Amino acid sequence: MKMKYILVSVLMFGAALLPLKSNVGAQESPRRIEITAKQFQFEPSEITVKKGEPVVLVIKSADVAHGLRFRELNLNVKVDKGGTAELPFTPDKTGDFVGHCSVFCGSGHGGMTLTMHVVN
Amino acid sequence: MSRLLAGICMLALAGLAGCKATPPGKFESRVMSFGKHHLFIGNKSQKNPLPDNHDTWNDGKEAFSHYCVACHGMDGQNTGVPFADHISPPIPSLASKDVQSYTDGQLKYILDNGIWPSGMPGSKGTLSDDELWSIVVFIRHLPPAGSQGVPDMYSH
Repeated sequence: MKMKYILVSVLMFGAALLPLKSNVGAQESPRRIEITAKQFQFEPSEITVKKGEPVVLVIKSADVAHGLRFRELNLNVKVDKGGTAELPFTPDKTGDFVGHCSVFCGSGHGGMTLTMHVVN
Repeated sequence: MSRLLAGICMLALAGLAGCKATPPGKFESRVMSFGKHHLFIGNKSQKNPLPDNHDTWNDGKEAFSHYCVACHGMDGQNTGVPFADHISPPIPSLASKDVQSYTDGQLKYILDNGIWPSGMPGSKGTLSDDELWSIVVFIRHLPPAGSQGVPDMYSH
């Protein structure tokens, strides 16, 4: 009888935790934003993210090697020719930030930018 | 008719001789140096927005390596550049007093717009503002001459 009581208690405790665990998982799943990098632009060229909300920038190269660097935010990622790279981060301040291609990719490299708006 | 043809040929030869890349004389160099420093190259008072530290220097070194090295060498002092003395005007060492006496703003102006008359091209749009300012920091703290080897393109 005592054994049965313990077993039921354990099962009930486990059942109570189950929805809590799935909720936590849903909250932590970061937003993914796909960005295509090609000579000499990012598509889209502007994105908006929320302060405090985890996000992953998924950079896909459509041609040569590229990079994306936000100097002010200390973020940098490089992507191989035709490859994909991910930049996970959580914005901790609001504002407009301009990221530049960080791998020299040709004559228009200097003007290859992505504007990120971080809002509350 | 033949006299006219001969005259045209002589004029053409004279013109070609005038186009020969000979080193500028001392007077020509002084005049041009004065003009560049005091008249033609603006942006004298603009300050470098990037911090003068090792990280910026590293960024500058990398940006410099994209194509500045073809004329200025890995060290900014023409090491291994086979034509450095054969074009007119010759490519200056970036460690020279003439170059180092430009302000940071003037160096940025030169990087943006190039210098006429010389082979120095402008890089605005080819490199970002951050990269160009980081190159200014690299130029201010050049490595010892010869310490960086020869650019790949000249070592094969």
